[in-house]
This record gives sequence, C-alpha cells and structure tokens, in this order.
Amino acid sequence: MANLRRPRPAAGGLGRRRSLTARAGAGALVRLLLDRFGDLATDLWTDEDTVEVRIDGTRNVELLTVLRDDAELDFFYLADAAAVDYGPGVRFEVVYHLYSDKHPAWLRVRANVDRDDPHIPSITSLWEGAMFHEREMYDMMGIIFDGNRDLRRIYMSPDYRSFPQRRDFLLPDDAADSSAAGVNPLERPETWDLTRVSEELAPGVIDRAEGQS
Amino acid sequence: MTGDVTIPDPLELERAEEARLRVAAGLQPAERVRSEYAGFESVGLPDRPPQTDREREVYTLAEGEMLVNMGPQHPSTHGVMRLVVKVRGEVVTDIDPVLGYLHRGIEKLCENATYTTVMTYVDPMDYLASMHNEHAPAIAFEKLYGIEAPRRAEYIRALVVELNRVFSHSLMMGFLALDMGGITPILYGFINRDEIVDMLSAISGQRMLFNFFRVGGVNFDANDEFFSRLGTWRSHVAKNVEMSERVITDNEIFRARTIGMGVLSGKDAISLGVSGPNLRASGVPFDVRKAHPYSIYPELEFKAITQPAGDSHARYLQRIAEIKQSIHLIDQIVDKMPHGPVQAQVPGIIRPKPGRAYAAVESPRGLYSVYAISDGGPNPYRFRMRDPSFVSLQAIPKLMPGHLIADTMAVMASFDPVMGGVDK
Repeated sequence: MANLRRPRPAAGGLGRRRSLTARAGAGALVRLLLDRFGDLATDLWTDEDTVEVRIDGTRNVELLTVLRDDAELDFFYLADAAAVDYGPGVRFEVVYHLYSDKHPAWLRVRANVDRDDPHIPSITSLWEGAMFHEREMYDMMGIIFDGNRDLRRIYMSPDYRSFPQRRDFLLPDDAADSSAAGVNPLERPETWDLTRVSEELAPGVIDRAEGQS
Repeated sequence: MTGDVTIPDPLELERAEEARLRVAAGLQPAERVRSEYAGFESVGLPDRPPQTDREREVYTLAEGEMLVNMGPQHPSTHGVMRLVVKVRGEVVTDIDPVLGYLHRGIEKLCENATYTTVMTYVDPMDYLASMHNEHAPAIAFEKLYGIEAPRRAEYIRALVVELNRVFSHSLMMGFLALDMGGITPILYGFINRDEIVDMLSAISGQRMLFNFFRVGGVNFDANDEFFSRLGTWRSHVAKNVEMSERVITDNEIFRARTIGMGVLSGKDAISLGVSGPNLRASGVPFDVRKAHPYSIYPELEFKAITQPAGDSHARYLQRIAEIKQSIHLIDQIVDKMPHGPVQAQVPGIIRPKPGRAYAAVESPRGLYSVYAISDGGPNPYRFRMRDPSFVSLQAIPKLMPGHLIADTMAVMASFDPVMGGVDK
C-alpha cells in the first residue's frame, strides 16, 4: 500500500505541486502568536499552509478579538466557522478559519466545547457574518452560542428535535448494522407540543418574552 | 394575523364551498391540517411563540406594517427560498430569510461515503459551479493523502474551472436583467452557457453535474472535440460578451435600478463574510487565487480586480471584468498546457493517515472551502463545506431596509446566490 502513497514519476513534471501551494513564512506568524499568547505555546501546530491554535471554548472571544484587532496579526476576515463532533463522551470543537493578507497561512482556531453541556460564547459581536454559521452549528450539532440573539433552526423545521450531524445520529444504512439497531430511535419524533418546543429549543427566551408582554 | 375580522375570509369561503360540493357528491368532507406551510399560517405569522429575540422582533408588527411572503416558489428567488418581508407601504423595513427548502444534508452524506465517491455528492450543491465544488475537496483530499496531481491534470482543472466561471457569470448578468424585467440578456447568457456546457460535456461526459475531478487528477484527458469547441467558442466569445454588455450596461432602466442600490461598504462586507466578486465590488481585493494560490494560479498572470462603488451596478461590472479576466486566463492556460498523464495512481478506496486539511478555492460566488478530517478510515470523519452564497445571503436583510419592495429581487440577483449552495 505504501508505494501507492506517492505518484509514480512520469513525464510531465510530477511532484512539483506541493511547492506551488506551500509557501514559506508561516514561521513569522508562529513567533508572533507565541509572543501574543505565550500560554498557548503547547497548542500550536502548523502544516504547509495552515497554522493551528487550540484553545478552550470559553476563551474564544478574547482570543479572536486580539487576532482581529492587533495591527500585526490583523486577521480581519472570518473564512469559516464549523463544528466537529468527536463522539459521545469526548467533546465538540468549534473551528474558526481566519484570513489575513499580512500572513501567508490560514489561521485555524480550534475551540473545545464540553459535549454534555455544549455552551460557547457567540462571536457575532466580532463578525456579523458568523450568525448563519452559528445557526447552522446549532441546527446540526446542538451547540448553544451564548449571546447570539437569533439562535434558531436554519435548515430543519422549527419543531425538529434531533441534531443530524452528531456522530450518534446514524443514517439508516449504518443503523441497521449497528449494535444499537432496534433500540435507539434514529430521530426523535417531531411534535407540535409548543411548551416542549419552547422549553427545549430556546431556554430563557420564551420566559423573557412572556414576561415583557 | 388575528383580531376581530368581520370580512369573511375568501379562503374559508372557498373551503366551505368545496365541502358543500363534496357533500352534494356523496363524499366525505376533506380533512384540513391547520397549517399549510410547516409551522406557519398562510399569512406568514408563525403559529407558535417566537424562539429568539430576533424572531420576535421580525414578527412583531408596528402601526402600518405588514408581512409579505416571498417564495418559496417565487420565480426570482433563484431556487427555493422564502423571504418574509416586513413592509410599510412599498418600503421594506425588515427581512427574514427562511432557508432549508433544498437541504439535502450533503455534509452528512459525504461523511458516510468513501473519499472517491464524495466527488459525486458535492456536484449538486452550487449547481452553477460544479467544477469548483469538486476542486476544493480534491485539493483537501490530496493534502490528506499526501498525493499530487500531475501537471497536465492541474492545467485541465484550471481550464475547466475558469470556463465554469465564465458561464456562471454570464448567467448572472442575464438573471440580473431578467429580475428587472429584461428578457433578452438571459438568452444571450444562455447562448454563451450552452457553448461552454457542450464543451465541458465533451470532456467530462455530463452537462451539469460533471463528476470530473478525482483525488490525484481528473477523470479524462482533454480530447479533440473539447479543443475544437473551445476554439470555436473562443473565436466569438468577445463579441458575444460585448453583445450582452451593449444590451445591459447603458440601458437607462437598468442603470436607474442598479446605481446606488444596495450599497455595501467594504467594512460591512468583511464583517458579513461576503466574499468573491461581491466583496471585490466593494473595493476589497480579496481573491483566493491570489491570497492563497492553489493549483497553477501562481504561474498565471492576472490581478485581483476591484470596483470602488459597492452597489448593484458595481457588482455587475465586476462580473463582466471577471469574464474578460477568465478568458485571458484560459488563453494562458491553453498556451502553457504540458503533455503527460492526467491521473496519479490512486486506489479506489483510500485511507489517508489521520489528520486535517483545509482547502479553499475561488468559486464564481466567492470563497468556497472544504475542511476535511481523516481518522484513518475509508470515509472522511468530518467533511465541512463553506458555501459563499450561504454567507453572502446575510447581506440582504442588512441592505434592504429603506428600499422599495420591488428592488429586493434586483439587489438579491446582484449577489447571485444559488440556493443549491445555500441549503447544502
């Protein structure tokens, strides 16, 4: 198998492409990050065009604010925000990809989130465009973004109660073969029981709204 | 809307009449579900308490305001999307986009497919940029697997994605005019598109969902029919583009309805995550082909084009400039294309080492990126796609308040969202 990992050398100049995408200079960014966030030193990682920082979810706003506003770092553009599920009992991760025209690498910030109590501060105050990303993460993974004022389902219908992109949400093909076949329902049944919808999907909001009116 | 309505509801009258006819015909009265759309009354108000502060704000009507439902089957929503538009008279005061009518769960499907079959799933996402949809995963998987595509394959990739960009932008020009009531330009746009689509079907065997990219190369080498069609198209494309330009650009109605409409400043555009031609039309020179060059773009000569104005007209001019730029790039690519194989040796099922890879490409609608995680198995552990239309759509509720309701579609068309991409 190992010999298949590399393309066979052939006419046409194989083997040059890595050098086209790989760009030198990520070292300067790593030094800058170490200077600004010394306590993160053990959590830095780089590959050819990405520098990666791992942080605790509660620190995301603090760190991203510095990354965005620091004149030398200047990561002004949020390229992507996505959630990763590492399985029941492990953790969620919210992954931000940032772009700066001052550095030759993408910056990836991986923020850990507790899987049993998935709360993380919202970054919509930094980038308005994070709104749809966070709504999608909430819809697909069930991560609650504290401070997001429009956290509702974006793709699935408002009364839907499962989180389809979690690892323990199995597609029917896989579910038939799994050890849980016939035991765990794939999806929680939809319901129009409004009290339950409001309690589960938007804790606090409804009570507040009712109190005002 | 509730309240003490004294005028009989026409819908209710119709239903009563239908029930009467059914009884007269000896049939059971038809059972009616309370809500026609999922969770909403036909007038647009949700039949449940608001879930968030923002939703409460949108669906609370002030004096003189009403909600107008646009879509999901509206002809000019460019797919299946619903806008709940709050209006005071003819003036828009707020917009709430309702998405998900085209959601297919492609990310989840890809996580349950092998790396090589992922390429077939991503095609129908942004269906006007299928080549770009395949390009990003191909790069990401090659990074994960540690393999390189042959040089000729990279040139063919660049060639087909630039062709794809040209037809996508020509259609945008046509649809923009169509949403303002001009029928002719879309026909010119489709002439251009059909020629390119025939070309791409000659090289890939498909007209729309090409399934052309492979991990470590492309499916077929460029053949004679492809180059023959390319030459024919290239000989008259400049004239064709100029023709559409002459029909649209200086048209008085078009100018009146685009200049100064939906002005998006560079700062707001960055904050909202708008990317691609829409961002560059606001004066920000962010082009992934330049910012983080991939494929063979470092070898080609071009620069990121920008427009200063940031209105609908600037976004339209940006498309024209990019069509011309793409044609220039296509010339360079065909000029420099080397000989050789187009596919590295890759087994049918690959198991990359555990790791992560991020790959971004410049699609006709902006920054399209893939974040793939491998756990050593035959399918991606996590496959995340960032679609530019999905993020850019957030600009619509931001821009439209204060504009006339008829301009909503015109401004939205200038952003050129594709719902297949928005809903994934």
